[in-house]
Amino acid sequence: MTTKGTRRRRKGWQRYSSRTFYLFASPWLLGFALLTALPLGYALAISFTNFDGRSPRWRWVGLRNYTELFDDADVLASMVRTLAFTAIAVPIMVAGGLGLAVLLNQRLKAVGLFRAIFFLPSVVPMVAAAIMWKLIFNRDVGILNEILDVISIPPVTWLVDPNAFYALVILILWGLGGGMVIMLAALQGVPAELEEAAIIDGANRWQVFRNVTVPMISPVIFFQVVTGVIFTFQIVIQPLLLSQTREVGQVTHVPESTHLFMVQVYEEYFANNRYGYASAMLWVFFLVILVVTLIVLRSSRLWVHYEVDSEADR
Amino acid sequence: MTQTTAATPPAVSTPPTARRRRPRRRGNAARTYLILMALAVLFAGPFVWLVLAALKTKAEWVTIPANILPEDPQWGNFTQALTEINFLAYLGNSAFLSFVFATLVTLSSAAVGFAFARLRGRGKRPLFVLVLSTMMLPQILTLIPTYVLFARVGLVNTYWPWVMWGLAASPFLVFLFRQFFAAIPASLEEAAIIDGCGYGRIFVQIFLPLSRPVLLTSFVLSFTWTWGDWIAPALFLDPDQTTLSVAIASLYVDPHGNPDATVQAAAATLYVVPVLVIFLFAQRYFIRGVVSSGLKG
Repeated sequence: MTTKGTRRRRKGWQRYSSRTFYLFASPWLLGFALLTALPLGYALAISFTNFDGRSPRWRWVGLRNYTELFDDADVLASMVRTLAFTAIAVPIMVAGGLGLAVLLNQRLKAVGLFRAIFFLPSVVPMVAAAIMWKLIFNRDVGILNEILDVISIPPVTWLVDPNAFYALVILILWGLGGGMVIMLAALQGVPAELEEAAIIDGANRWQVFRNVTVPMISPVIFFQVVTGVIFTFQIVIQPLLLSQTREVGQVTHVPESTHLFMVQVYEEYFANNRYGYASAMLWVFFLVILVVTLIVLRSSRLWVHYEVDSEADR
Repeated sequence: MTQTTAATPPAVSTPPTARRRRPRRRGNAARTYLILMALAVLFAGPFVWLVLAALKTKAEWVTIPANILPEDPQWGNFTQALTEINFLAYLGNSAFLSFVFATLVTLSSAAVGFAFARLRGRGKRPLFVLVLSTMMLPQILTLIPTYVLFARVGLVNTYWPWVMWGLAASPFLVFLFRQFFAAIPASLEEAAIIDGCGYGRIFVQIFLPLSRPVLLTSFVLSFTWTWGDWIAPALFLDPDQTTLSVAIASLYVDPHGNPDATVQAAAATLYVVPVLVIFLFAQRYFIRGVVSSGLKG
């Protein structure tokens, strides 16, 4: 067999392989183009207009939507509220997930049962979760006020301002079991020898946790913080479903304290029909996510650990 | 209670001091169980309260102070939940959409995952980075403009959007399949290639049968996504075409327009039961799916 022949054959095989790659990847490529890039591009286009969703008489307004939104007190307030919500919910979510994982990362009986109980809320459909918590938060007959009554605290109106904010925090925290199983898997990936060595060196359990375990799983903790921040930034469905109204999902009924940024966007789209303005807000949010993602990708070299990379990525 | 002593560090390498620690550890275990049980009450409480509410009469639901347990369990609430609205039709819509989406998205994601794990192509690396980045993109960001766009071309109030989302593959599931396929030894497909097998047959006859657990993980996860989704059907579908989640959230009202709490609770119970059952049988598939996304870094 001549080297020329093998080279040609190899080249043909490469071309076949490359074509097959694009054939197999085409569902995602087309999907990305049509269902991610196109809608986002469309939103960008209408963010420069005063389009109201139906009227054909719209015109270009340039950057006016963008300049307006940074002057809009409601928008700015919703941004501040979202940041406050994130600052409260994400640390509790991550620390709580880690705490539960540490509790379950012991050889105890019925660990599987507890893990299932803690994890289950994170897979419960949001509609069902909202219904459950509305029954609990009910001012007059909810179990929460019933319990508070036992320690003689007067009834709290959970689902209106300003307490709706805390009710939403509780609803979100109820689902922290998803983070817990990730932390648990990370903890189980920490080599036991490391912790044993530290114990032999005289470290107590807290020191081992602080100085050995946490640094070992820090990439996972970091990733949990990032996804947690993005998750809380985009919250819109839970406030809509939690609002105590006759018509669920009416954005105008969402209490002010749970009127987060995406709720504001939703309201501008579907209650005020200001599609252009809302699209500008959507794009501001998209740019924020983009920056966060870029930072994560940039820093990922420092902390990402690909287990099966070398072969597959050639 | 031999389990407690076996907790970190293993007996073999335990230093002598560990013997002194044993009684203390046993006390720790009791304390751990107390904490775990208290937490379990908090996490399971909402389920229990939902079922209890579903079994109360309307009068009993509004009595103050509340009865914890219903005096006379009202199983009739469940029949009322089934008949007051067209429950079975909405259930059918939910099941149909979830099944179609889960089947399509599992197959398309498997194919894309195979491409990224096994095939070589120009620009594969940047494309994979793009896949990973879209995982960070909140769904609502693209959903709203998609709705605006689809409303203009008449795709609203049809099930086509779900077919398209299914065919488009999910970056999260692509990643799941890619990780699984990348770990399969190359010798397998090399042998097949020498035998004259193309990549199509390698994928269908070797990789898909090998990936049954991942296929199941993907199907279970994507089925429950659609089953539990509220915002997409609320935006895209008219009230008579919509899914159970939208119907349950808004249709249970008494003639005065007030929410009918006990019947709604019964309906919500019926709505979560399939999720709980799937979860009980496929717990490890759920957990595998969640974990693989969170540990990818």
